[in-house]
Amino acid sequence: MTHRVLAIVAAAVLVAVILIVLLVTGGRRALRETAPTPGEPLPSPTSAPQQQVVLLFAAADGLLHPELRAVPLPTENHERIRVLVSELLAGPGTGLEPAIPYSAELLGVYVETAGHAFVDLSAPPAPLTGSHTELMLVYSVVNTILLNCPSLVDVQLLFSGEEVTTLTGHMDLSKPLALNKRFIVQ
Amino acid sequence: MQASRIHPLLFAAITLALVLAAGPLAAQGEQRAVEFRFGDQTVDVPRVGAQVELLPVLRLIGAEVAFSSAAGTYGVVHGDHFIQFSPDRLLVLVDGVLQEGSERPITSPGGVAASFEFLEQTLLASLGFRLEPTPSGFAIVPGESREQQVAVQVAAADFAATTTLVCTVARRVEVRVLVNQEHELGVHFVDALPRLDSSVPLRSRRVTALRARDHVLTIELASGVDLLSWHQLDDPSRIILELGTPRPTPAAAPEEPFEQDVVQPIVIDPGHGGDDTGAVAASGLAEKELTLDIARRLAQVLRGMGLTVRLTRTDDEARALTDRTAFANRLAARAFVSLHANSSTVAAVRGAETYYMSLDRSSTDAAAAATADLENQADTQAQERSPLDLILWDMAQSEVLNESAGLALAVQDRLNTRLDLRDRGVKQAPFAVLTGATMPAVLVEVGFLSNPDEATMLRDPSHQQGVAEAIAQGVADFVRPP
Repeated sequence: MTHRVLAIVAAAVLVAVILIVLLVTGGRRALRETAPTPGEPLPSPTSAPQQQVVLLFAAADGLLHPELRAVPLPTENHERIRVLVSELLAGPGTGLEPAIPYSAELLGVYVETAGHAFVDLSAPPAPLTGSHTELMLVYSVVNTILLNCPSLVDVQLLFSGEEVTTLTGHMDLSKPLALNKRFIVQ
Repeated sequence: MQASRIHPLLFAAITLALVLAAGPLAAQGEQRAVEFRFGDQTVDVPRVGAQVELLPVLRLIGAEVAFSSAAGTYGVVHGDHFIQFSPDRLLVLVDGVLQEGSERPITSPGGVAASFEFLEQTLLASLGFRLEPTPSGFAIVPGESREQQVAVQVAAADFAATTTLVCTVARRVEVRVLVNQEHELGVHFVDALPRLDSSVPLRSRRVTALRARDHVLTIELASGVDLLSWHQLDDPSRIILELGTPRPTPAAAPEEPFEQDVVQPIVIDPGHGGDDTGAVAASGLAEKELTLDIARRLAQVLRGMGLTVRLTRTDDEARALTDRTAFANRLAARAFVSLHANSSTVAAVRGAETYYMSLDRSSTDAAAAATADLENQADTQAQERSPLDLILWDMAQSEVLNESAGLALAVQDRLNTRLDLRDRGVKQAPFAVLTGATMPAVLVEVGFLSNPDEATMLRDPSHQQGVAEAIAQGVADFVRPP
């Protein structure tokens, strides 16, 4: 009897140990399979469809300053630009100044397959002045888009559907502009 | 007897099973955690694949970490530092300045994990720490704080006999410039670590290479080139190095007027005009009037130096931007100086700055622009452009750009030394009036009409005269024969 009990107990222990081994190694394997690898996108911590974006606004030192903001960010560039420009038009959170100095409306966004984007803003109600005003406005939009849409190459601004040569008489806006970090605070 | 035979077998099986179990467990144990030591405290921090959980490490050094679900960001507060980063994002905000991490942190069982490189280079270094390997993991020790690092942007202007190298540093630093060996200079930063900003490529025929390591910025010079002199300027902080071939008998700079040069005039472009008023100060002073006033004064001073001067407008009249540059091109001008007064929606913004052209275009667009430009130049002989044409066009553009940088540096330096204005420095922007100029071309913003103090100053005729004389001296520095 005693031997049989001992044998049963030992067999039970063996089964238990084997089960533990299977569970542990199996569990680890399962964990390894789901373990994130670098570069593999994962859902955000809140699992909400929000992503952090960088928005550039003006400041008293005459440079563009970044503000981080979480927004629902579509994957498609066309929709993504709409979200980004709308956030810029909504203005900065704290401490910074709007770089677009009038209540502009986003009239349209066009994206070519080669990575050229066109953003159509309503024209200023009155002429804007100063190269600084122009640089801040243009590069807050162009740089914000290109920083958050890495697959895009350049951006051209249109005003009320028209291609313009310049806005305040300084910048050449007849061509698309690439990312320019010179006017972002370092 | 039977029992004594069964038991060892069972125990052997159990032992075997335990060994089988222990193997993978031990292996997992090695992967599972890594020890971090900070002072007397240690913590075992779980690993996630090749990455490591960040939050236990940050808490170990006493940082406060909070996750904002609204912003989707982790905020780290440690001392005076504030870092914001997010899973899946390359961009990190360190003390309000945007930085690009080497890779993206990931969402992990413990919240957020990242590579050891991200932990050390992006997070710990920004807080003044670094990692030191120990037998069981890492010790977090005080490191070279980010405060010691200083971004250095180097620009070169090649003149006929000399090159001016301008190293713009993010803050005032104490430096010593030493000749390391033949054709190699070392700019030694006494209590700072120079970090080269390579976003602006350096183009100079007298500088062959630049590198920053530890406390030294090394400048390699072309054969026969030496350091002639160096000095420092403030606001923004700059180290200016004059490079060239030392002359056996350095003669004093000639002060006598230049010979009359009728072939190559200096073209001055008073910005705006006609219906295009430009910026207007609260006092009513209009940019188009101010630029014409200063242009007339500038023309007078330059003529007094014996130079030929032409203005793109002499009255309150409109001129297209392209016509202004075309005017200078037709006259084969020696230099083109466009005068402007600035305006910002932020009233506090102030200071004078000098711009030269930037080619802020994507590479495909630049190639298209080159082709278009070449075709415009040779519209009578339309032909397919070879890669060599594009290279030559690029070289010609670079040459003009280099010379424009030299003119801009000369003008801005004179404005700084002559006038009590905030120095906003030399900058590049894609300005229409500078596009297509075939000579050294700059746009000078003499101050902000939107800033009440500067608007008052710019109304003052003696200040206008000072601005004109400073710009004239800068132009003279540039065109003065070596």
